[in-house]
Amino acid sequence: MIAVLGLIVGVVAGLLVRPEVPAVVEPYLPIAVVAALDAVFGGLRAMLDGIFDDKVFVVSFLSNVVVAALIVFLGDKLGVGAQLSTGVVVVLGIRIFSNAAAIRRHVFRA
Amino acid sequence: MSLITNVMDHSLDDGYAEAAARRAAQGEAGGLPKTLRAKLGLAAGLVLTALVVTVGAAQARIAAPVVAKERQELIDRIDRETADADRLESDVDKLRDDVDTRRRAALRRSGGGSEADLVGVLSGASAVHGPGIKLVVNDAKEASAGGDGSNPRETSGFSDTGRVRDRDMQRVVNGLWASGAEAVSINGQRLTALSAIRAAGDAILVDNRPLVPPYTVLAVGDGQRLSTRFQDSADGLYLHALEENFGIRATISTEGDVRVPSAPSVIVRTAQPNAEKTEKGTS
Repeated sequence: MIAVLGLIVGVVAGLLVRPEVPAVVEPYLPIAVVAALDAVFGGLRAMLDGIFDDKVFVVSFLSNVVVAALIVFLGDKLGVGAQLSTGVVVVLGIRIFSNAAAIRRHVFRA
Repeated sequence: MSLITNVMDHSLDDGYAEAAARRAAQGEAGGLPKTLRAKLGLAAGLVLTALVVTVGAAQARIAAPVVAKERQELIDRIDRETADADRLESDVDKLRDDVDTRRRAALRRSGGGSEADLVGVLSGASAVHGPGIKLVVNDAKEASAGGDGSNPRETSGFSDTGRVRDRDMQRVVNGLWASGAEAVSINGQRLTALSAIRAAGDAILVDNRPLVPPYTVLAVGDGQRLSTRFQDSADGLYLHALEENFGIRATISTEGDVRVPSAPSVIVRTAQPNAEKTEKGTS
């Protein structure tokens, strides 16, 4: 219950406060979103698998976002930012897809 | 491929499996958190997740119109500046016409009369018409066929023959002057005492404006006589030799009324007329 409340609070806060995203962070926001989605789908699948762990979820979410942003930041500095963000998106995209597929199998039994 | 296979196989964070194994070893039940602290931790994580996703979406929605707006602003600025430039150009044209009429009037007042018109005609400041000849010079057929960029190796540089060069046009124009032409234009560019015919790459430039073949030379002069004298002169023979040897196409025709435009601007910035009228030649 508290978890669902947290989700709603997050969405409402994001919509109402409209935090001014600093220009430095802005290029990494899309990657952070993809990383966050990956963590969410991973947590959802773990929940359906019955092996959900709150600590793992929070830590994986934070580390996903930070590592993804860091890779893109490093790529920007090296001049291959576009290629590295493509790589990050591909890897996270594959994970999201297979996790979504697992969730689908759980929900629809198909 | 093993990398991708690895990503596919381990799509779920290994941490979950490890945590489940640990709990199983300790005899606890898996699944959703039971204690308040764990619940709060999960809620905090979800708040963060929702925040990141929402802010990302909001940012994308804000950024898209901003980019479009900036683009539109740039386009508007280009349009505005282009219109400004057009207006200024028409202003320049209008003022030039004004200066022209005033100069003519002033010269007439100071007793110039026909002399003023003569200066205008000779300097190229005023458009003239009269009997004359029309001379069309064009590259040889093969040269223009290769000039469409089908083979850059053949068209680059000055190696290929059959192409009209700047010095050919110089000789043609020189010959026309020598044969008694009074006003000459090439492709609508009036030649003045300050005009230069030169080459830049493959193009021939007259007063820094590139010309496109065929080169149409209009010369005002005593029609048939001008034509004959030119064709008999050394430069006429030179042109004939170009035709014979390199396939350059040249046609000369006598015209009853040739219209030669005025030069875009006749400006002398540094030269001052001398007190004792010595003649100075420009080549």
